[in-house]
Amino acid sequence: MIMHVAEAGEQRGRVVLHITSGHPNNVAIEAAVRIAQAFHSEIESLFVEDMQLYDMASYPFAREISLRGTNRALSREDIERDLRLTGRALCRRVERLAHAANVPLRSRIVRDDPVQALAKACAEDGPWNVVALADVLAPGQGVRVCDLFANVGGYTGLMLVGPKARRTRGPIIAVVESADHLQPMLRAAERMAGVTNGEVMVMLLADGPSGGQHLEEQVRLALGDQTKIQLLRCQIDQGAPAALAEIIRRLHGGFLIAHFGGILVPAHGDLRDLVSALECPLFLMR
Amino acid sequence: MAFWKSQPSKPDKADKTEPGKPAPATVANGAGTPSAEGHTPLAIAELRRAVDPDALGFKTTSELEPARGLIGQDRALKAIQFGANMASHDFNIFVLGPAASGKTTAVHQHLERKLKDLPIPPDWVYVNNFETPNRPRALKLPPGRARALVKGMIGAIDELRNTLPAMFEGEDYQARRRAIEEEFRSGQEQAFEALNAKANSQNITILRTPNGFAMAPMHEGKIVKPEVFNTLPEAMRKQIEQRIEALQKELAEIIEKLPKTDKQRRAKLSELNEEIAALGVHEALDDLAAAFADQQDVLTYLDAVGRDLIRNVGLFLVPAGEDNEIVKQPADTARDARFRRYMVNSMVSHGGDDAPMAPLVEELNPTYGNLIGRIEHIAQMGALVTDFLLIKPGTLHKANGGYLMIDARKLLMSPFAWEALKRSIKAREIRIEQPSEMSGLMSTQSLDPEPIPFETKVVLLGDRELYYLLAAADPDFSRFFKVQADFDDSIARSAENDQAYARLIASIVVEHKLKPLDAPAVARIIEEGARLASDREKLSIEIGRIADLVREADYWAAQAGRSTTTRADVAQAINEATQRSDRLRDRAQETIERQIVLVDTTGTKVGQINGLAVLQLGDFAFGRPSRITARVRMGSGRVTDIEREANLGGALHTKGVMILWGFLAGRYALDVPLALAATLVFEQSYGGVDGDSASSTELYALLSALSEVPIKQSFAVTGSVNQWGEVQAIGGVNEKIEGFYDVCKARGLTGEQGVLIPKANVQHLMLREDVVEAVKAGKFAVHAVETIDQGIEILTGIKAGTRGDDGHFEAGSINRKVEEKLRDFAERGRAFARRSESESGDSASGSSNGKPSS
Repeated sequence: MIMHVAEAGEQRGRVVLHITSGHPNNVAIEAAVRIAQAFHSEIESLFVEDMQLYDMASYPFAREISLRGTNRALSREDIERDLRLTGRALCRRVERLAHAANVPLRSRIVRDDPVQALAKACAEDGPWNVVALADVLAPGQGVRVCDLFANVGGYTGLMLVGPKARRTRGPIIAVVESADHLQPMLRAAERMAGVTNGEVMVMLLADGPSGGQHLEEQVRLALGDQTKIQLLRCQIDQGAPAALAEIIRRLHGGFLIAHFGGILVPAHGDLRDLVSALECPLFLMR
Repeated sequence: MAFWKSQPSKPDKADKTEPGKPAPATVANGAGTPSAEGHTPLAIAELRRAVDPDALGFKTTSELEPARGLIGQDRALKAIQFGANMASHDFNIFVLGPAASGKTTAVHQHLERKLKDLPIPPDWVYVNNFETPNRPRALKLPPGRARALVKGMIGAIDELRNTLPAMFEGEDYQARRRAIEEEFRSGQEQAFEALNAKANSQNITILRTPNGFAMAPMHEGKIVKPEVFNTLPEAMRKQIEQRIEALQKELAEIIEKLPKTDKQRRAKLSELNEEIAALGVHEALDDLAAAFADQQDVLTYLDAVGRDLIRNVGLFLVPAGEDNEIVKQPADTARDARFRRYMVNSMVSHGGDDAPMAPLVEELNPTYGNLIGRIEHIAQMGALVTDFLLIKPGTLHKANGGYLMIDARKLLMSPFAWEALKRSIKAREIRIEQPSEMSGLMSTQSLDPEPIPFETKVVLLGDRELYYLLAAADPDFSRFFKVQADFDDSIARSAENDQAYARLIASIVVEHKLKPLDAPAVARIIEEGARLASDREKLSIEIGRIADLVREADYWAAQAGRSTTTRADVAQAINEATQRSDRLRDRAQETIERQIVLVDTTGTKVGQINGLAVLQLGDFAFGRPSRITARVRMGSGRVTDIEREANLGGALHTKGVMILWGFLAGRYALDVPLALAATLVFEQSYGGVDGDSASSTELYALLSALSEVPIKQSFAVTGSVNQWGEVQAIGGVNEKIEGFYDVCKARGLTGEQGVLIPKANVQHLMLREDVVEAVKAGKFAVHAVETIDQGIEILTGIKAGTRGDDGHFEAGSINRKVEEKLRDFAERGRAFARRSESESGDSASGSSNGKPSS
């Protein structure tokens, strides 16, 4: 949505807030609301009751280990009741935030496989969707992102938060690796900055000094007289993704916008370092 | 209210007395009656003591050096000096004296001069008690350093607001924090990942449920459907179940370790936070600690502040809700609710002035709160809350180490204030308590601030009545106010004091920026001072009233377009002031002039005399004549005081009447029974009568009634009498004379009219100038008498008579007539008694015989 809506000057779109557990992250929900505010779009809260939980609960030996370490026998009725109550509570929580931000909200609770449920939702009203993952992405779950990009269509970007997510206010950092992505990322960043009162920073990321130089020239040409935008130049040879993640963390960004399949977020790479260091939401664009 | 007396009979023509000349003999009851001689009215000089302007030695007051302080109050000032010099806490001073006597100003000036000799008292502040917040601590500081501590604490907190967030955002802290977080997080994650990998290797998946975790068999990344699982051989199913059970135990163990691990993590983070915070806190407080290195209490307090800051460093890392959105400046630290506990409440500070010195405070509204201080509250979410910054100092704090002046009457009228002041003096400390707490009306938690030592000399100012009332009613009073400074209300008249009085007037002129007064005007004011003192030998030093007179005279001088205030202006000021107040006097005069109230001023009458009363209305007093009558007959020996019988007479008046009985019995009825029944009454008196100043008047009326000799109604009489017939002094003599003079003047002065006063009152005469002029012109007279005999001779013109060797009074004299009348009553009484006994005996005898008596 971000690229396309921004590119097409559209004012409409949808943020699909994908909730698959009873413990969604506050910063993730808040970030979803900010995106919806920035693009004057609505939020569709999609709480998925994982079918596998029902299958698991059908086993006679099924037990649940609580977060305090105690365990109890689990039945289908138990899991059904727990999911129903959790779903309602989360819907109300999202509703409160959306209402406070004056963002239209639609809530749905579905019983399905989480990925399939998301794919269906995006397919029903695509393609200008942004998927916002409400659950924290553990550092080792990078493969889940790759799966979503590979197996779910109907959306233009994916927002996620790591375990250290703590803010949505601060500079909007757009990591530009190619001049082709500059304009849509820049427009998206400016819209986001309008909502969060942050400044826009463009981080130029290239795989060598010559590439960096070339990219900077192209970007400066494209920016023209937009002097308010701060340019930062990084090279991949300055260090591993961990170093890049640390540089980004030190910028105290409110949002990080990056391109999926590039240097920072490779299509089949490890997101562990980036996700571990991130203190703000990450937008990944197709 | 009233004092009275006298009643004369109609004068014969031969009774006419020329003022200033001896009273001529009077013949009232025919031949053979001895005439009284040798009674001379008072000379002009005795009626009013005038001041010779030329003797004052100046032309106007501008030539005089204004008086500094009071005149003639040496005793009081010495007492104040003594009290001020006595260091003991219980030698406080009570300044007693009449209102408007200038005592407040005098005490203020006197104490002010002593301030420079006192050490500058310390500053006091209240600070938070971090261990027991509801017991704020009081810190004593050298003079002038409270403000430095207040500012220093604000500065330190301001600095911390900047440095602490920067330190905690800094890379050093963040890196160490991440290291700790990582250490524990990676441990958890590794454990979870290892378990997850182990489960996956056994084809078991771990799922997240709404409330925790659950496990199930897995095949190719998906949960095995239960119906498929059931088709598996039982042994395999058992084996899978056992594996899941084992994994669940492992998971439970990992989860159970989480709180413990988390606690360790928090402890490490806490250590780190304290380490970082301590750097900033010590840096911020170091300057302050160095500045107060000589103050151990402050250092102890700063240590406590430091510990609390380190413990609550989070306060500085959370943005304030009230940050100004426009200018992006942090809110004023002193007003930021988060940092209130670190602020300093300066209760009293003696710095900042050019020449700081011990305080001299006069509390004009000595309420409990104003004296002791108060603990204010602010409404927060519907509840009243408070803290040590809401402790407000009272006058005791402000005057601590110096002098405190309080109006005693106001103090006593303020609930709780007197008791609180005594408590502070006794305990030698100022303890702020809410009155509602003391009375047990409020049970909500409030503050109990540490008391502050109290070392102040308290000076109470009040009138004498209040002083003696307190001394009698409150045992504590004499214990804590051991010095009485008694301000006189008058000074003796002398040439020297006349000069001092003139300088006092000059000081009033300077103080109020008035026109200068010429010498005759000053002389007139001095005369008025004597009049105010009700004593020709004294001068009133009621500065307030003198100042009022000077200012009013200045006004009239201005109205007349004069640049100097003259005697005429002073006289006009006095007359105008009188006219503003004398509506009731006019009414009283009118009732006499219109014969509504019957008072004769000519002729003679038996058993009737003019008495004199004084009515006091605020500051204004005036005299009024009133008729007193007496009637006598044979009786059993009783003088009936009708005023008393009607409950209109006071105790003193009753006493006076009883003295008359003693006089009559002692002089005339030594060897016979006093067979007299007499009635005495104040005619047309509808209010109460008290005082004994009418007793001589009543006695004259009685003697007239007994002797049947008429009394001249052209006289009015005042004076009390004793059992020996001596006439004694009374009060209000000037007003009484003037009251009768005014009535006579309104009816036309005959030259025969006058007033009898006790000789002891001559020294009090300061009559109005018009009265003196009338006497000078022979139209009015004032007689001074020492005995009843002298008085009755003047009133009747007949000799009173002395007892001769034969034991009898001179024939034809008043006393002889009275004695004979009483003997006659006694004889007739005896005869009457015998006849009655005889009749009752016959009657008793006849009855016993069974025959009727004749």
